[in-house]
Amino acid sequence: MKPVYLKKVKRNDRLASWAISIGGLAIIFCVIFILVLIVEVSLPLFMSPTARQIARVESGFVSSNVQVLAVGMDDYLETAYTIDAGGTIRFINLADGRELEQIRLRPAEADKRLLAVENFGRLNHVLHWDDGSLSVEQVKFSPFYDAADNNRRSIRHTLESRGEFPAVPQQVEQSLARVNDEGRQTRVDLFADGRLEVQQREVTENFLGEEEVTESSEILELNGAGQLSALVLNDSGTQLYAGTATGELLHWSLEESGEANLVDHLQAFADQRRITALSMVFGDVSLAVGDERGQVSTWFGVRGDSSGKRTLTRIHQLTGHAAPVDKLSHSLRDKTVLSRSGDGLHLDYMTSERFLLGFNPPGGISRYALTARGDGLVALGENGDLLSWRLFIPHPEISLKTLFGKVWYEGYDQPEYVWQSSAASDDYEPKLSLTPLIFGSLKGTFYAMLFAVPLAIFGAIYTSQFARPKLRGMIKPAIEIMAAVPTVIIGFLAALWLAPLIESSLGSVFLSLVLLPAALMLCILLWQAARKLEPLKQVERGYEFLAVIPIIIGAVALASTLGPGLEQWLFAGDLKQWLFSELGTRYDPRNCIIIAFAMGFAVIPIIFTIAEDSLSNVPNSLKAASLALGASRWQTVWRVILPSASPGIFAGTMIGFGRAVGETMIVLMATGNTAIMDLSIFNGMRPLSANIAVEIPEAPVDGSLYRVLFLSAVILFILTFIVNTVAEIVRQRLRAKYGRF
Amino acid sequence: MTPIKIENPVIEVEDLRFYYGDSRAIHGVDIAFPEKQVTALIGPSGCGKSTLLRCFNRMNDLIDISRVEGKVLLDGQDIYDKNTDIIELRRQVGMVFQKSNPFPKSIYENVIYGLRIAGEKDKSFFDERVETSLKGAALWDEVKDRLHDSALGLSGGQMQRLCIARAIAVNPKVILMDEPCSALDPKSTARVEELIGELRENFTIIIVTHNMQQAARVSDNTAFLFEGNLIEYGLTEQLFVKPQNKQTEDYITGRFG
Ligand SMILES: Nc1ncnc2c1ncn2[C@@H]1O[C@H](COP(=O)(O)OP(=O)(O)OP(=O)(O)O)[C@@H](O)[C@H]1O
Ligand SMILES: [Mg+2]
Repeated sequence: MKPVYLKKVKRNDRLASWAISIGGLAIIFCVIFILVLIVEVSLPLFMSPTARQIARVESGFVSSNVQVLAVGMDDYLETAYTIDAGGTIRFINLADGRELEQIRLRPAEADKRLLAVENFGRLNHVLHWDDGSLSVEQVKFSPFYDAADNNRRSIRHTLESRGEFPAVPQQVEQSLARVNDEGRQTRVDLFADGRLEVQQREVTENFLGEEEVTESSEILELNGAGQLSALVLNDSGTQLYAGTATGELLHWSLEESGEANLVDHLQAFADQRRITALSMVFGDVSLAVGDERGQVSTWFGVRGDSSGKRTLTRIHQLTGHAAPVDKLSHSLRDKTVLSRSGDGLHLDYMTSERFLLGFNPPGGISRYALTARGDGLVALGENGDLLSWRLFIPHPEISLKTLFGKVWYEGYDQPEYVWQSSAASDDYEPKLSLTPLIFGSLKGTFYAMLFAVPLAIFGAIYTSQFARPKLRGMIKPAIEIMAAVPTVIIGFLAALWLAPLIESSLGSVFLSLVLLPAALMLCILLWQAARKLEPLKQVERGYEFLAVIPIIIGAVALASTLGPGLEQWLFAGDLKQWLFSELGTRYDPRNCIIIAFAMGFAVIPIIFTIAEDSLSNVPNSLKAASLALGASRWQTVWRVILPSASPGIFAGTMIGFGRAVGETMIVLMATGNTAIMDLSIFNGMRPLSANIAVEIPEAPVDGSLYRVLFLSAVILFILTFIVNTVAEIVRQRLRAKYGRF
Repeated sequence: MTPIKIENPVIEVEDLRFYYGDSRAIHGVDIAFPEKQVTALIGPSGCGKSTLLRCFNRMNDLIDISRVEGKVLLDGQDIYDKNTDIIELRRQVGMVFQKSNPFPKSIYENVIYGLRIAGEKDKSFFDERVETSLKGAALWDEVKDRLHDSALGLSGGQMQRLCIARAIAVNPKVILMDEPCSALDPKSTARVEELIGELRENFTIIIVTHNMQQAARVSDNTAFLFEGNLIEYGLTEQLFVKPQNKQTEDYITGRFG
């Protein structure tokens, strides 16, 4: 070789190897980059909440002899207010500690004092005056742009009276009151002598357009319960709960005016601990219970037996305090429960049982309130300082347990795996368990592979080992073209053509599952006998399959004519009904039979091509060695060709598996997308991939759903990665075993 | 052509013509192979030695376009008869290929492959056969401690002897060998040649070779083929010392081929 030319060859060689490494590295980089991107979006799910103190108004603005009974703050974390025992509400600008306004709540009666203030709903305060009368006041805030002052933004506050309850003569221990939007007023009084009285007042309009007032008052049946130590009324004033000093819980329904009904009375704690605080949880279904041992649990009614009656059951246990819990309240946005003890203030998320934040400033917290949006907390320290925090609680409802474990959601009778990301009502809690989706992915893949793997591999064996080369040259490209059919078309056909077809002729489908193999076996037996005949010897090798085609067509035709009759005879004309009533499996029109066919259609070409290649690549010398030793064609295939081709067949199967796991369009169109966990072939499922496609357009960017969808993409990624890695390892092993030729 | 007197012919070939599609590779060959002797087939490249050899165990059937005319009798039975069981035929006529082709299995499994596919299951019988066959192929001492290791870990010469062991394990009548030593070094070749000498006690061997010395060393009879015709067939000593035919003489003296 001429030196110049040699140099050129060497240079080209170097260039090529660079280009190849750059290409390879670029691909690896891209894949890692994509992974990093999706992980980055999903990671904030597991970020721990933080609180940043944004204001501290030094003591001295409240005269020390007047006790502050309640605090509150606007949604913009700019204005706070205090309500003190003197009956005054003061608004304070948190930025500079300036007092904005002072309003006397009952200006006419200067000597009236407040005993207690109870909060409910959005900045509603039930003021409990010392003469036993109650008034309900709501504080409202709205941003305001002052045109006179350069359009400066300030927060305007207003007070709105929502209802008055007259004085009661006796000494009252505790009073609760609710005013709801339909004009219904409810008042509950616990008297010093232990009586519990409910008064309800309802204003309705009769058909003549006149206002009608119904009033009722009754003493509640205590059913021999111990001393009441905590009370709570739901926001609409229809459900009343009480806890006793001996660990009992009572629940009355006040739905019907004047006909209060004790629906539940149970010994909640066997050790008779004192129940020290109660609160509803947002949504008014769950009850949070705090006790003298510092524990916080949540309860709701569960149908335990077939009677359908719901009994209060302990559902979640939140992080405990070191001291007795003395106050419980809840967020107005989600299932966050606030609990306070001598030990400080805790924020816990009910459903995920996650401890979110703890506050224990020096001097403790005497009054506190969470803003309506749940992102601000205002508190009054024992030393009179007004503190406020901005809270960052990104995804309180998400934890590894809610994502992968069974969760006991409100209204469910037991813990379950549920994916249900949205519903009509506002206080609905999204249920984001990934388990049914992972299950769905694996289920669909399982049935698809069950159908595709034997067909593809046997097909590959036939074409590579038994078919004539001419036939092989036709079959192979035809099957490879199958891979080019867009999956949306396969999905469309499966959903709109195959699903109704199979549904309407279910009997025939099952019959042909029996008839087809039977006919084939019969055909093979006959062939064994007939091959001795002279004329058949001419067609024999490589064209046997021609004889099988009419048999298959015949068997299918027979099945479809006999199917309806059989269904009539065995299953009273409706196989689906029979499945449901006898086997308890519902028949979904879009089910795993359809998926197996449709996804099989997408997967078969992949497995077939790779398996066929590796089968044909087994050296002929091995085949010849086996045949020369007197092995039949099938023995040669089974004992020599298949083991030698096993790395390739395995790789093909795994690539097909990876494809089936990630397949989206077909399952999206042909499964019905119900996230159920049922292995039955007659049901559909919702796999990870289709779920992402269905939900991502509806998911608010950076919300929990959005991030969980990205997390499911990460899982899909990992799943495929694991499958491919395992496949590669097994393939290497098989290669090492059967490889060197 | 000197007709040699053959007692107990194992294989008799009568007017064999063989076609690859339309082209004829063997033009009417008549030949017979005596029992328990070594017969060498020699001839220039492409003259049809391998083709002829493959006719004896019907390995040519694997080639789609092939066609055979004439008769090949094994113990008086035409192997191209419609009723012949090819599997039974191949168990009686074993073959060793030019390139050693052990299965990607253990040495042990390689040897008993022919027995396994015949439905044999007896372990002690397997053990015994492995030992006798490997001893018969002069490989036993080298591999007796690693019978269950992969056969692919053997050397080229060992692999070829393993293939011979595999062929004799099923106890065939005839062993066909197509240039069994062409890929081996002189030492391994000598080993295999020695082995052929031993095998001739029990088997009828037909060997194709390009190596005149080898043919002279190992065979009792030699057949010279040229362009699909059998030119000369006789006792090895005679054929090499005093060839009757001009073409034979040219070939063995190295004037062509
Ligand atoms: N599979 C085949 N298809 C078509 N023609 C073939 C095939 N195998 C061999 N031939 C032809 O048949 C003739 C005889 O070939 P064969 O392999 O028998 O020769 P050979 O004597 O064994 O030669 P060598 O000593 O080189 O092995 C040759 O002309 C060859 O081209
Ligand atoms: Mg040859």
